[in-house]
Amino acid sequence: MVNKRNGWSIIADILTMIVSLLWVAPLFFAVLISVRPSSDPLSVGNIFFGRSITLENYQQALELAPWAWHYLTSVLVVLGVLVVQIITITMAGYAFARMKFFGRNILLFVLLIQLMIPSGVLVVQNLTTMRQLDLFDTRWALMIPYWASAFGVLLMRQTFREIPPELEEAARIDGANLGQILRFVYIPLSIPTYIAFSLVSISARWNEFLWAAMVTRTAEVRPVTTGLSQLFSATEAGTNYGQLMAGTLLVVAPLVVLFIFFQRRFIESFASSGLK
Amino acid sequence: MAQTQSAVQVTHIAQTHRLKRPQWRHILPYLLIAPTLILVGLFTIYPTIRTLEQSLYEPGASTRDERGRRVQEPDTFVGFQNYADLFITQDPPHPIVGSFLQVLGNTIVFAVVTVGVTLPLSFGLALLMNRAVRGRALWRFSLFYPVLLPLIGGASMWAFLYGNTGGLINIVLRSLGIPTQDWLNTPDLVLWSVIVVNIWKQAGFYMIFYLAGLQAIPKDIYEAAALDGASYFQQLFSITVPLLRRTTLFLLVIASTYAFQTVEQLDVLNRGMPANRSNMLLWYIYQIYPSAQARGYVNAISMVLVVILLTFTFINFAFFERKDDDGQ
Repeated sequence: MVNKRNGWSIIADILTMIVSLLWVAPLFFAVLISVRPSSDPLSVGNIFFGRSITLENYQQALELAPWAWHYLTSVLVVLGVLVVQIITITMAGYAFARMKFFGRNILLFVLLIQLMIPSGVLVVQNLTTMRQLDLFDTRWALMIPYWASAFGVLLMRQTFREIPPELEEAARIDGANLGQILRFVYIPLSIPTYIAFSLVSISARWNEFLWAAMVTRTAEVRPVTTGLSQLFSATEAGTNYGQLMAGTLLVVAPLVVLFIFFQRRFIESFASSGLK
Repeated sequence: MAQTQSAVQVTHIAQTHRLKRPQWRHILPYLLIAPTLILVGLFTIYPTIRTLEQSLYEPGASTRDERGRRVQEPDTFVGFQNYADLFITQDPPHPIVGSFLQVLGNTIVFAVVTVGVTLPLSFGLALLMNRAVRGRALWRFSLFYPVLLPLIGGASMWAFLYGNTGGLINIVLRSLGIPTQDWLNTPDLVLWSVIVVNIWKQAGFYMIFYLAGLQAIPKDIYEAAALDGASYFQQLFSITVPLLRRTTLFLLVIASTYAFQTVEQLDVLNRGMPANRSNMLLWYIYQIYPSAQARGYVNAISMVLVVILLTFTFINFAFFERKDDDGQ
């Protein structure tokens, strides 16, 4: 749009600043209150800074839930899902991109049903399935339903199609088998897509709550989000804000840090996840 | 014509291969997609069918025999009775799902308001961010980071802002001499408080689609319009908005679909209380499913959600069917 440096432009700059500050305020105040001593409440004195800075809230928040286990579970689940997803979406993505077989379109449609009916609304039946498979209250229950990703398959299919088929033919003439073709032709040329998919997948699994709260009971196999839920109940129904915010930041920090490193990538990946 | 040719070619290749390595080439694609399809079958298709089926049954009572062992009575087929119990108001209210209509209403209000406010807002934000503005990376971080947070984590930050006595908003209001509100315990306020959290969380997400859309509009259209003397707002409403129609429609669908399944924030924002005024369908399911007698209802409510979501998906397909999805 025609961009003249005039009065409107200054107003727009100010507006941008105000909205951004409003948006960042919850995080900003969460950090401030998390390092503020509980003896120095927000309602008394300076609203921004307490008289001193303390880590006591973090210590207490750490004691109120078994965070080491929660972190371990979340990391294992994130990795356990991602690794298997990468394998399944590469295989299926290649088949749908480059192979001709009977029923291809119908099978692709069957796959798309996963995008149409989000797992969220099927939690109760999937809970029964997990009990029948004897996986209730295990980390497997947090991973297995996500091992297949229709979104990932579509993404890989699209990416693989853009790779010139001549490269594959050349590799075949050199005697490469399918595994080698994937490893030396398709996968190396699709690294940006894999990174994009990984960011979306990591963020989705790290953030999972409802399914995890339903399918696990034992603290050791529960992810960080359930720890936050427990902390909320434990901090006097969430009124000990210093501790609650310390715990919240412990849960959100890995993603915020990851985001700071991969800012552009993240935004692009999320855009493609919406486009599925 | 070209298709016939390539089909002939394919058959030809298939035949020559069959001579060398029978079967393998035909089975391979199925082997490659099998893991994905089996998992989709097990965790999407099978549960959908079971949900539909069980929504037509009333669960049998679970009793104990003389030795104290649990005996499960068989389920009774009741047709659409479970749905009738959900949608037809009874007096006194149904003991398990008496508040369903209230909850459905909340969910619809939540979805309509969240989407109705977030989309114009994110369009505005995209216009602001689509300018040469100093510190853009920082502003972009501010607007986009909520998208990444776990919903329960983002909501937990707001639980602090909304707190009645120690919450930030009320502290600020008190210091300014403005009457405070109990944001999460006032029946007429609580749903709006929850809506604000979701607007905050999603605006940055939809903004990036509008940004992409804005950047795809050729600059010379605006130059031509400016030469014709069109003002900024004339350009905005006669060029930008119409050209982004498809983006808006697309966002309308994904935002609505998303809104119907977002409930995790409720865990730290008063759990649907007071009086179910902020309760929403998926959270409602989560609340009533432990009761064995609720099983039929839980499945019926899930089906209601499936139908709502499928409706949006079909709108999506009808409007946005992409032609690159087939052949090559």
